[in-house]
Amino acid sequence: MKNPSTKYLPLAPVLAGYLFLFLVGENMEGKWQLIAMLAFYCALGQAFNLFMGMTGYVDFGYVAFLGVGTYGMAIAISRLSDKGLGLWLLVIGLLMAIGMATLLSLAVGAVALRLRGAYFAIATIGVNEGFRYLVEGARLWGGSEGIIFTAQLNEAFGREFANVLATYWADVALFVIAVFAAFLTLFYMRSKIGYALTALREDEDAAKVMGINVTKYKIIAFITSASLAGMIGAVAWALKLTYVFPPDVFEIHYTVEAIIIVLLGGAGTLLGPIVGGLIYGLSKYYLAVILPGFQLLIFAPIIIIIIVLFPEGTVGVLKKRIQGTFWAKIII
Amino acid sequence: MVFDQLMGNLIQGLILGGIYGMMTMGLSLIFGVLKVVNVGHGQFIMVGAFTALWMFNSLGANPVIAIPVAFLIGMLLGFLCYYSFVKRLLKGPELASLLATFSVGVILEETVKFIFGSEFRGYNWALGKIRIPFTVLPYTKLIAFSGSILIAVLLFLWFKKTRAGTALRSVVEDSEGARVCGVNVDWQYALSFSIGLGLTVASGVLLTMFIPVGINPNMGGQYTLKAFVIAVLGGLSSPYGAFFGGIVFGLIENGSYTLFALLPHVEPFALTRFLSFVILLVILLIRPTGLIRTR
Repeated sequence: MKNPSTKYLPLAPVLAGYLFLFLVGENMEGKWQLIAMLAFYCALGQAFNLFMGMTGYVDFGYVAFLGVGTYGMAIAISRLSDKGLGLWLLVIGLLMAIGMATLLSLAVGAVALRLRGAYFAIATIGVNEGFRYLVEGARLWGGSEGIIFTAQLNEAFGREFANVLATYWADVALFVIAVFAAFLTLFYMRSKIGYALTALREDEDAAKVMGINVTKYKIIAFITSASLAGMIGAVAWALKLTYVFPPDVFEIHYTVEAIIIVLLGGAGTLLGPIVGGLIYGLSKYYLAVILPGFQLLIFAPIIIIIIVLFPEGTVGVLKKRIQGTFWAKIII
Repeated sequence: MVFDQLMGNLIQGLILGGIYGMMTMGLSLIFGVLKVVNVGHGQFIMVGAFTALWMFNSLGANPVIAIPVAFLIGMLLGFLCYYSFVKRLLKGPELASLLATFSVGVILEETVKFIFGSEFRGYNWALGKIRIPFTVLPYTKLIAFSGSILIAVLLFLWFKKTRAGTALRSVVEDSEGARVCGVNVDWQYALSFSIGLGLTVASGVLLTMFIPVGINPNMGGQYTLKAFVIAVLGGLSSPYGAFFGGIVFGLIENGSYTLFALLPHVEPFALTRFLSFVILLVILLIRPTGLIRTR
């Protein structure tokens, strides 16, 4: 690991994977929607893995960060669309999304990350529901009616560009976010943060005794993961749908999907979220064709089977196989 | 005027709280004995609600009869889950059992959706009403309240007076010690897991006696959150604590609803749910052992 040139080598298969997906989408007729969905799942997995995979904590309220990210973009566009900001409007929206997700994650993290195991899970399940009902109950940001900003988006960019934005550039942005999340994951893995997180994942008490400030590193991973989620929400939901309703963006099923993707691929691995995202996305896409409406009924037992039989996930199993060979340096 | 309304709501809250308590006892029992948090808790309540609905609408059976039936369904599901995967996950990280019970919840939800469809349903078991000061109570609510108290008392007696209950308490105190003394710890785990689920499913029936409408496959999630708040109020691992926590929660919920309704420009119903989440976080932060001390 001393050699800086091999330090970021494991990023190569990740980049190759995303590039391949992108090129398939670009060149194959009628496949862009599928590729966009895969990009969403890969990005979601990559962002979620940064926290769940590296700390071993399961955040059942993760989707709340995507939700506030969506709101961030929605608020920016609906309030500032007539200011003539041009593309800066999107930048402001993205910054708003990141900022709001970071703020929420700071508030949640300060409370929930003091708790462990079961208590953490219970607290985070509450976060998502609680936040949704705060938005609806206090009539924040339009309350349960949500925000519809299709008109403002069209006004700011023109109907044509808004359309391209939703059907093409938003998906490209998802690829960028996924790669960025993978890079951050590797950066953390290769730095002191990663070692501290590994130590605390294996044995939190021991890590504490060794003098690691576990709360600090947990919060770093939590905030990073949450702000990535905010970006995904802003891009994949706000820009594509051009509306936001509380029950849609705080839907716990997206958290479940993120958990499934990370588990399928292998928690705490760099390549895992892509593998998991591809397996999940492709099977969901084709199952919807063969057996519409049964995806959850099929995936829920699969989670149980994976937990019982292959808790390391696909990449985890692969990593064990190739231990000691040349490939072990590239696939992590 | 407001005072009368508040008092009336608090009485309703007390009755509902008794059912909430019963609803959470199973969760606390399972956590207390196995240290497993049943994240699919609300979905088991939903199964109970559908048991009552189905028995009433198709068989014309009295919901009171549905209580033991629901209990048996819950126990059956409990043994099935325990021996198929919960047993294997007890030694693993907490994460594993959380995800597994979560998936069970999803499976239940989707299965019920597949069988009954996802529209809202209800049944009408009219027995008349009784006027008491401040409010009007249907007899069904009174039956549900007495039923939940009766079940809580039975569980208490089973715990304290029977041999099986003593064995179970010994497992909670010290599972290794119990094993040495010849207690079949594995069986005790299986038993308490299925009794816990039995209580949960049965409480679903009681819940429909209180609120006989709005029964649908997705109703579980909100009750999972409520049960968590209640369990945390009562100290998470004590079924009796949970029962009293339920009553406290019922009072808070109905009382705050009345007060929130006085505020302008808010939706009191959603704010009440938000409040329960705030209570959850505050208690977890300042007193994770629960507000109610039980020995």
